[in-house]
Amino acid sequence: MSDGSTKDIPMITVDSTRFGTLEVPADSVIEFPAGLIGFPSATRFIMVEHKPPFSWLQSIDEPSLAFVVVDGFEFGKSLDLKPPIGDPVCDFNTDDEFAILLIVTVRPDPKQTTVNLKAPLFVNIKNKKATQVIYDDPRYSLRYPLWEDPDNTDKE
Amino acid sequence: MLILTRKPGEVIYIGDKIKVTVVEIKGNQIRLGIDAPSEFRIFRKEIYDQIQEENRAAADGDTGALEGLSEALMSGKVKTATDQPKSPLAQFTTGKVSDRGPEVVKRKKRDNE
Repeated sequence: MSDGSTKDIPMITVDSTRFGTLEVPADSVIEFPAGLIGFPSATRFIMVEHKPPFSWLQSIDEPSLAFVVVDGFEFGKSLDLKPPIGDPVCDFNTDDEFAILLIVTVRPDPKQTTVNLKAPLFVNIKNKKATQVIYDDPRYSLRYPLWEDPDNTDKE
Repeated sequence: MLILTRKPGEVIYIGDKIKVTVVEIKGNQIRLGIDAPSEFRIFRKEIYDQIQEENRAAADGDTGALEGLSEALMSGKVKTATDQPKSPLAQFTTGKVSDRGPEVVKRKKRDNE
């Protein structure tokens, strides 16, 4: 019910094969100007909460395309993942606030679920632009197991 | 494709910011040194291909398998935040890069605050 001081927040409708039709604020759209690797034309996404610690990155352009993601600071805290400063795609500059999303590959056996540390997603909080960055570095695993110890959520 | 022939120690410039040096040639392997600003990501093609493949596998995820995983990770350890933010991104920890390197700006809520 409107309380009289409600502003009209521009909303957009997003169709999702997993979640049905969603209505979200237009300014919650995260733009990947270069898409994701292997998905160059998937440039607009929204985030959908699921069971913590998992969220979904749902494509606006393609209803059946969605990625499970987790917080990169929580799951990759000792990895020192640096955002691509100077990247023209999302205009990261020193002192810009950013979030890190790690893509989770869910497999039928939950114990085989892994996190991609080699290609994290960096989101520039200020302009909501994002990009997937590749770390060709043996320290960062492409398939880091999420399930090492069911009681341990602190992953290095 | 532009093809140039170089000997060990010789250099190629791509634009004026990217410098490729032939460091050493040993047998059928060549070691290349690359100097480039950080916005240019440097990676071997095989890594790119692997990431593409992993992204595709990840894109096929279904909600069912997450249920048990979520319970196991969350049971007894982390309480869900009571208020739902408008954008899930607001729940994520964010960081900043300063001269001292990355530092956390905002830690995501873990307990009922």
